[in-house]
Amino acid sequence: MATKTTKDIGPKNPVVKVGDATLDYVDQRSGAKTGLSWFLFRNVPAETSWFQTLGFTALTLFGLQAVTGIFLAMYYKPDPNSAYQSIDSITNEVTWGWLVRGMHKWGASAMIVVVFLHMGRVFFFGAYKYPRELTWVTGALLLILTMFMGLTGYLLVWDQKAYWATVVAVNITASAPVVGPYIADILRAGPEFGPDTLARFYSIHMLVIPIAIATFIGLHLFFITKLGIAEPPWSKRRMTVERAEEDARRAAERERLPYGRREVPPDVPAPQPTRAEGGP
Amino acid sequence: MAEAQGDGNGGRYTGPVAGDATPETDPHDDPAYITRTKFLSGVALVTGGVLTAAILVPVVGFAVAESVQEEGWQWVDVGPLSDYPDGEVGSIAVSGPSPESDRRAYVRHKDGALIAIWNRCAHLGCPVAYSAGGDVYSCPCHGGAYDSIGLVTAGPPPRPLDRFDVKIVTPDGKEVAKQEQPANGCPTNGAKPNDRVLVGRPFSIDEDQNPYELKGPGEPVTGVLANLYPF
Repeated sequence: MATKTTKDIGPKNPVVKVGDATLDYVDQRSGAKTGLSWFLFRNVPAETSWFQTLGFTALTLFGLQAVTGIFLAMYYKPDPNSAYQSIDSITNEVTWGWLVRGMHKWGASAMIVVVFLHMGRVFFFGAYKYPRELTWVTGALLLILTMFMGLTGYLLVWDQKAYWATVVAVNITASAPVVGPYIADILRAGPEFGPDTLARFYSIHMLVIPIAIATFIGLHLFFITKLGIAEPPWSKRRMTVERAEEDARRAAERERLPYGRREVPPDVPAPQPTRAEGGP
Repeated sequence: MAEAQGDGNGGRYTGPVAGDATPETDPHDDPAYITRTKFLSGVALVTGGVLTAAILVPVVGFAVAESVQEEGWQWVDVGPLSDYPDGEVGSIAVSGPSPESDRRAYVRHKDGALIAIWNRCAHLGCPVAYSAGGDVYSCPCHGGAYDSIGLVTAGPPPRPLDRFDVKIVTPDGKEVAKQEQPANGCPTNGAKPNDRVLVGRPFSIDEDQNPYELKGPGEPVTGVLANLYPF
């Protein structure tokens, strides 16, 4: 016992010590460090590949769209008389305006592409299966919201192409049975495109959908963190598990069969069919 | 204590045990009994619901109710009859909420009658263009094509081009002629060149030029699919 010595294995650097102490202070009171390591430092399957990075790419692109969009809003004017001129001035006069607008414009297209690739990856990997159904459902809602983002953002340029493409899109909405005409009226704030339509699309594009997207991204990430990344279909472990599950399912199915249809071991004589009692 | 140990029970405890006595009927066990917790939970839910409704109902009504109202229409003076000589199709901008909307009426004067065709494509609402050479209307968006009176000749439109009501009045506002049947148009033979042409209520027509309530782009007026939009 006397030979045992206590070794200080903590950091020697006083700055690191203070930093650790601060982190511990915050963590004890908020659980932030615990939560962050729960979110970031999780086990992933051995076969995880570049395919699984598409979701984070989409998240990054959403961040890009959010940041560039917030700053574009500083110069954009959602009024039919000045919308196009403000876009023109962003592109040609404001310093680096061409760059920020370009990032927002091309980021939007890239986001649509990446979101579809991500969905394809999840589909072809079978990653939507139990227990990840709700991750898929929130992802599907995010896809719809992303498309709606594209529709509402497209009008804001307020040139001829933007105007008529959105007229056509809203009229396609209007052709949905029964409720379609009402949805279209609500979207364009009346029977025809006008100044209110632009302001409404701007509000939906800037506030309504981003809040909804942020909410569903939070849910989506929570599910991913809670359930972990799905193993790819070629994972040996997953194939073993799925085969065992299939065997168990078949065994349970056999157990559930009613007596007369249960598979009978070969050495037991099969029960003879009986005639209906009280027959003629 | 020494006595209790010697009572023949081997020192086991023989006193009252929790749950040993005859169970009293606790009103809290009755699912229908409203406890304080249940009551306060209910109050909190109702209060939260009322507050949420107090915020959402005005906001949603504000955004929706104004939008779903019928579009108003009015008679618009589009100039004297002499602006629309017989045998020609004149194009005139009529009311539209924004300059980009490009809502126009093609006022067609043929065989002593006027008709006014709305340039909104019956497919998805793009503006159709009139070409005088072929005396046809064509849509730039998806290739809808219409003949000289707006009946579909090719492409996706589900019904002919919509029309506006037309009438002719004297400069001091007395009615000279009006459109009885869309197929016949508004007769011009009794009108003077300086009488005013008025363009009014828009309406839809079918292939035989029978009038219908105005429909939105993409909505057929006849056939089974016309029932998809009952309101």
